[in-house]
Amino acid sequence: MNDSMSIPHLIMNASGVVQMVMLILVIGSILSWVVIFQRTFVMRRARKAHRAFEDRFWSGVDLNELYRETPAEQETQGAEHVFRAGFREFNRLLAKTRSPQAILEGVQRSMRVAWSREEDRLNLHLVFLATVASASPYIGLFGTVWGIMGSFQSLSMAQQATLATVAPWIAEALIATAMGLFAAIPAVIFYNRLSAESGRLLGKYEDFAEEFHSILHRNLQGRTDPGAD
Amino acid sequence: MARHDRRVGYGLPLVLAIALHLAILVASVIRFPERETEPPSTNIVQATLVSTETTTDQAQRAEEARARAAARQAEEEAAAAAEQEEAREAEAEAVEAAEEAARQAEEAERQRQAENEAREEARRAAEEEAARRTEQAERQAREREQQAERRRQEEAERQRQAEEEAERQRQAEAEAERQRQAEAEAERQRQAEEEAERQRQAEAEAERQRQAEAEAERQRQAEAEAERQRQAEAEAERQRQAEAEAERQRQAEEQARRAAEAANQGLDRAIEGEADNVANARQATEAANSFINLVRRAVEQAWVIPPNVPDGASAEVSVRLGPSGELFAATIGQSSGNSAFDRSAVQAVEAAAPFAELRQLPASAQRDYRQFNLRFRPGDIR
Repeated sequence: MNDSMSIPHLIMNASGVVQMVMLILVIGSILSWVVIFQRTFVMRRARKAHRAFEDRFWSGVDLNELYRETPAEQETQGAEHVFRAGFREFNRLLAKTRSPQAILEGVQRSMRVAWSREEDRLNLHLVFLATVASASPYIGLFGTVWGIMGSFQSLSMAQQATLATVAPWIAEALIATAMGLFAAIPAVIFYNRLSAESGRLLGKYEDFAEEFHSILHRNLQGRTDPGAD
Repeated sequence: MARHDRRVGYGLPLVLAIALHLAILVASVIRFPERETEPPSTNIVQATLVSTETTTDQAQRAEEARARAAARQAEEEAAAAAEQEEAREAEAEAVEAAEEAARQAEEAERQRQAENEAREEARRAAEEEAARRTEQAERQAREREQQAERRRQEEAERQRQAEEEAERQRQAEAEAERQRQAEAEAERQRQAEEEAERQRQAEAEAERQRQAEAEAERQRQAEAEAERQRQAEAEAERQRQAEAEAERQRQAEEQARRAAEAANQGLDRAIEGEADNVANARQATEAANSFINLVRRAVEQAWVIPPNVPDGASAEVSVRLGPSGELFAATIGQSSGNSAFDRSAVQAVEAAAPFAELRQLPASAQRDYRQFNLRFRPGDIR
């Protein structure tokens, strides 16, 4: 391949529409990779935090002590956030009502809200990744089709239809498709991987919420008996 | 737990993503030129048909043989020192081929010289012809002149004889006169007595004599007149003859000049014909060149080079065409050693046929270009 067929040269000589498509694809690729890196870090941290919290939780520490140790509401993440929301609601309701059923319902609702927030937090930007994964091949294909249209238009003006007159146009057009695939393939792979990870983490949070709910239910069971008397 | 305080920001992922893209871009830019240096010429096919070989062109074939022998020799020298004997053979072959070529070149030279000589001779012959014709005409003119001279001398002779005759007659007449006078004197002396009659008679006689003399004189004058007339006539005749002679001479000269001119014109015409031939040959060559370009382009476009061709492979295909440009035969003249490559070359020629442009060539050039060799080489056809 000579100098005129090198990839930077082809990109610089492409028509305006194809260059625009390439720019969109490059931006999409960069943003998708930003999302991939960011989500990967978030997932890894959430996994570690969850493991650490579970170890702490099941180490037999007093729940009040654990609640005091955990930072304020806005700072907490994952299972910790669920625990804090549930325990705070439990303490507040314990002082106001004597019905264990009402307390447990309030705790459950509070924990579901916390879980929902966690889900929202974990799945943040994954939709963008899905959009890049599904749309960028089409965008690249559009650029290719446009470029090949241009190549055939130039071919109709040329005297002799040799491979040399068509080759730069087609190569340039195919670069758009290549860039689309280049953006889409990592987006697809990491979307699947990250969404599976977040689903697994959310399942763990749900399990934790159920377990915590059962603990509170057990504690409440001991307490309601004298209250019912 | 201090770790919980930190949220995951977007700065580090952004930096990482941009770094990743830059790394990919740099890798694609830097690695491409290195990788693409190896197969540069396989994609681009450029064909040039340099030599055409006709059935009669011996020297060219010898030259090709010499080139081939030299190439083989170089290969073998590079290959192994053990094959020196073969190399020497090849060398001998090359020398032989060179000698052959030289001999043929010499022969061609001789032929050209012979042609030149023939042309020279023709010119000389024409000149000689003209010279001979002028000479002949001159000789004829001279002969005619001599004849006229002789005739003039004869006539002069005749005239002189006629004059002598006249002189003799005149002398005889004078003699007779003198005798007559003497007789008359004697008569007068003898017949002195008869004075009256005789004197009268004598007078009458004298009178008669005088009359006779006058008569004779008159006759003489008439004769002289006739003589003069004859002479004038002869003179006129002579002049006429001389004029006719001159006329004839002039005509002969004219004829000689015309003959010489004709000879010169023939020579000019021959030279013009030669020039025409040269111009025709040049036109034919130009047309043939364009034909070769067409063939080359057609074959070049039809050629599909098979993959994995060894570097420097080259095959020679000898092509034979019909009178209207259709392909009679395309055979491998010199194989490249790679059968797929050879086949691709033959198929390229077959796909490019027929070469209908052959019909547009001049008839003389058509025959020469109905057989030629094409050399196929990745990168160019020769």
